[in-house]
Amino acid sequence: MTVHFLPVRRPPAAGARRLLSRDEFCRRSGVHPELLRRFVALGLVQAVREPGGELWFPLGQLADVARIERLRRGLGLNYAAIGLVCELLDRIQELERQLRERSS
Amino acid sequence: MARDFYEVLGVSRDAGSEEIQQAFRRLARANHPDVNRDPAAEERFKEINEAYQVLSDPEERRKYDRFGENFRKVPDDWEQPVGAGVGGFRGGGRPRTGPASGFTSAGFDDLGGSIDIEDLLGGMFGRGRARAGPIAGADQEVELPLTVEEAFRGGPRQVTLTGTAGPRTYTVTIPPGVTDGQRIRLAGEGGRGVGAGEPGDLYMVARLLPHPRYRVSGRDITVDLPLAPWEAALGGSVPVPTPAGGTKVEVPPGSSTGRRLRLRGQGMPNPRGAPGDLFAEIAIMVPPRPTEAERELFARLAEVSDFDPRRGG
Repeated sequence: MTVHFLPVRRPPAAGARRLLSRDEFCRRSGVHPELLRRFVALGLVQAVREPGGELWFPLGQLADVARIERLRRGLGLNYAAIGLVCELLDRIQELERQLRERSS
Repeated sequence: MARDFYEVLGVSRDAGSEEIQQAFRRLARANHPDVNRDPAAEERFKEINEAYQVLSDPEERRKYDRFGENFRKVPDDWEQPVGAGVGGFRGGGRPRTGPASGFTSAGFDDLGGSIDIEDLLGGMFGRGRARAGPIAGADQEVELPLTVEEAFRGGPRQVTLTGTAGPRTYTVTIPPGVTDGQRIRLAGEGGRGVGAGEPGDLYMVARLLPHPRYRVSGRDITVDLPLAPWEAALGGSVPVPTPAGGTKVEVPPGSSTGRRLRLRGQGMPNPRGAPGDLFAEIAIMVPPRPTEAERELFARLAEVSDFDPRRGG
């Protein structure tokens, strides 16, 4: 099975770079570790890999995971589609911001 | 109280199930809290889901058509005693509990029929497609229109948001010199979470209204400074309006239209740094109906002067 990798590029918010352990991230997001692993594989969540192989997750990605789950629950999208939706939403937000800056 | 479900989905009462489904999908996409950050959109999204949950279920829809908004109080076997009249049902039936949440995923099971990773995961994590765990609410945004004077002064301001759950009023403290697009965060006042999920934040986005006199760019303010020809030629101290109430600017002799006089630090205040500057942009005005004496003097000036503004001098 081919899984398309869709990197979500989003400038991290201030303070959002603090890293959480996998267990801590799962506890706070309410996501099962296996599902989190899938998110990483699909490029929906970006993890930092330690030399030992352990994964760490930026605090700011808790909000991303909540958005993923809201889109899934609210619109019935699958996770690959959600990756695309998130990417496009972020891009629109950035474009709207630039547009506002230019017009003012 | 609740709006009519057909009205919510914008369909007629005799709409077919396909039409209802189309209307629901279109509205759900447009009002999803992550697509539309308006707080009103989230309420619409919940309404749409509730309406669709009922109208997409033939049995529930029949009850709704028959009993209107009291349909949830109707027992499941209402069709047998219907001949006895409606009155008998009041309070007699067991109360149906409402949907567990507005974000139900009912009706999506027919989407994306191909086998993919989701189907595998669906079996692994709880029943159906919805995960049981808590989900944090979405952040929301509302625009906060401010006049230049209001943005300059800052201070507390009452903001009322209307919604189906009743109006909510917030007192927002606007920082003096707030810039266009600056976001004021109200923690935990955004979209509601699912289950034990934390609510999102509500952001008030400052929007500077166009002003007849001031043009604001970042923290710098530009204001037109109309001058009589002799003021521009001879220079002098001239009053200039500012959002703080006005000040005086020293016009250097020989200033032509378009020259910008900078008043350092007289622009928008900045709580965390240097304030912006105020620019007075000179615009020379002439008397529209000169008196005889003025006309004479201008004519005299034209005779005496060899100044030619079109010769770059």
